[in-house]
Amino acid sequence: MDCFIFEAAGKYLGIKAQYVYRIVDDVNPARVPLLPSCHAGIIYDRGDLFDVIDVGRLLENDSAPPPDKTTYVILLKWNQRRLGLIPERIVGIKWIQDTADKKSRTVFTSEGRTIQMISPEEIWKMLLDLPYGH
Amino acid sequence: MDIEKYKKIFTQESGKYLQELNTTLIRVEKDLLNRDLWSDIHGKIHSIKGMARALNLDTVSGLCHSMEAWCKGFQEGSIIPTTDAVQVLMDGAELLKDLVAATADGVPFEAALQLKRIGALLTQPPDKLSPLAQPDVHSIPAPSKIDRIRIEYALIEELLARSQEIILLEKTLPPLSQDQISSGLRSWIDHYISMLRALHFQLSRLMLMPVEDFISLFDKTVRDLARTYNREVTLEIVGGDLQVDIGLMDRLREPFLHLLRNAIAHGVELPDERERNGKSREGKIVFKAEKRKDSLVLTLSDDGRGIDQTAIERYLRDTIGMSDQEISSMPPEELLQTILRVDFSSADETTQLAGRGIGMDVVAKAIEYLNGSMTIHSEPSKGTEFSIRLPLSLSIVYAIVFELGPHTLSVPTSHVASIERIQAASTPGGTLYDLGGRLGIDSGTRNPTHILKLRRPPSTNGETAGEIPDRFTIDAVIGNMPLMVMPSGELLARARSFAGVGIMENGDISILLDMENL
Repeated sequence: MDCFIFEAAGKYLGIKAQYVYRIVDDVNPARVPLLPSCHAGIIYDRGDLFDVIDVGRLLENDSAPPPDKTTYVILLKWNQRRLGLIPERIVGIKWIQDTADKKSRTVFTSEGRTIQMISPEEIWKMLLDLPYGH
Repeated sequence: MDIEKYKKIFTQESGKYLQELNTTLIRVEKDLLNRDLWSDIHGKIHSIKGMARALNLDTVSGLCHSMEAWCKGFQEGSIIPTTDAVQVLMDGAELLKDLVAATADGVPFEAALQLKRIGALLTQPPDKLSPLAQPDVHSIPAPSKIDRIRIEYALIEELLARSQEIILLEKTLPPLSQDQISSGLRSWIDHYISMLRALHFQLSRLMLMPVEDFISLFDKTVRDLARTYNREVTLEIVGGDLQVDIGLMDRLREPFLHLLRNAIAHGVELPDERERNGKSREGKIVFKAEKRKDSLVLTLSDDGRGIDQTAIERYLRDTIGMSDQEISSMPPEELLQTILRVDFSSADETTQLAGRGIGMDVVAKAIEYLNGSMTIHSEPSKGTEFSIRLPLSLSIVYAIVFELGPHTLSVPTSHVASIERIQAASTPGGTLYDLGGRLGIDSGTRNPTHILKLRRPPSTNGETAGEIPDRFTIDAVIGNMPLMVMPSGELLARARSFAGVGIMENGDISILLDMENL
């Protein structure tokens, strides 16, 4: 499968490339009050709104506010949902052999990287578990 | 609705009717005995008269009344129309245009002379008119200024799609490093793209129509239905200035036709019956449009006899096989939803259910198709209310956009009473609402410069709550501008403080505050 790999929270993370809608750069998400600190804001792209999430902060539960300016945002579309992810660094798309053990969350690339696979739905569920409002 | 607003609507609506009236008069001049055309002419004049009466514009309504008397005779065949008579009606229509335009400033002298001349002619038998009816070549008016055109909705959709495609071209720009692209070219590209986005925004607005324009489509239907069923009915609109997606409203034409037909034919009682029951002879149908968070709520209510619930109970018992105990334990709203069942419609509704149920399954399916929902409320002898909640796919709201700390926020302009600079704000009394604190904004990021005073929106029962001292400081006013409002999405909704996300003409985002929850 094609896997989109990026770095966040000191790890290599992989997401099935089919969920990646596109990558945008030099964007300035509109900050929204009352949302968790990993919520970097909202962007409007091609008629859609995307909640932009700082993946590092989400995974490390960092409460410091996200940076004002972001370099890249990975836009994901799946089911009826839209999400933008701010990585620390984008590695790129790699072909990764489907393992027999579908439950395995960790894959290894030929370059020797250890990649933790994550699905958009898992990220979404993590977001829903966070406190909103007061 | 305030009177000035109604006058504006009257001017727009009567202009449309008068334009159509002229066209139909030209047609009938070549087909004098065509009663359908006369019925159409009669209907248009009657509609103008009705609106003019509501505004106490006696000159307009009086002239309409005289013209209508002739048309009624032509329509019924009791008077034989002549080309001279058509000419008088054309002159009358032209005069009506002047009178409608002059409503604010009184009747101009020339119009007053014309009124006297045409008024005198209209008192004569139309088949024995004096030569005065001949058109005065010097007074033949020039065609009015072209300030609007009709275009196909499909063309707007096509233009919108094309503009979207052009915006997408931005994405085909090959990646260029900083040394390959000059800052001047980068700036030019950014400007070009921002212009394209503004163009797309403007085109998006073409997809919107005021709710009142949608309801005006039914004016003649309501009139015709009322005449057919010998009812006296008025149709009132609340919230008609809300702008909604044409595509959405177009899909609601049939459902609303069903609801209106049912309301008039079977909800509103005959005038004598209403009088006997202590009601006014004239039944009232109210169409209300509201925006509630991410939804458009359209409510159609009548003050008629209400839904006969014994017929529903009979259906549930005899057709569905429910026991009396099961039926009596059903919540009232669930009981009323029975009328949406397909097989319920096949019942003899005129005897079993006072007519409710005609095509109601069709209405329910149409609303379901639009991802909407419908609730029904009915009380015997008080009336019935259908409330339809639909997702707002697109809407434009004028809003005051402002900065508060690092955030760009907005409130609908209609909710704002005033904005004052802090040093000039000497309004006595009242404490400042800590909006920044309520939204968890760090006070260190704030630099208050203005006080924004809110006016609470009118309550749903039509009463205005008036101004209450809800004032808070803001850091900077960006402006009063149209925002394309999009649903706020699942994550923002969890904060329970936002009504939507507003997109400005330049593509920037402003978060629309939910005034009801602040």
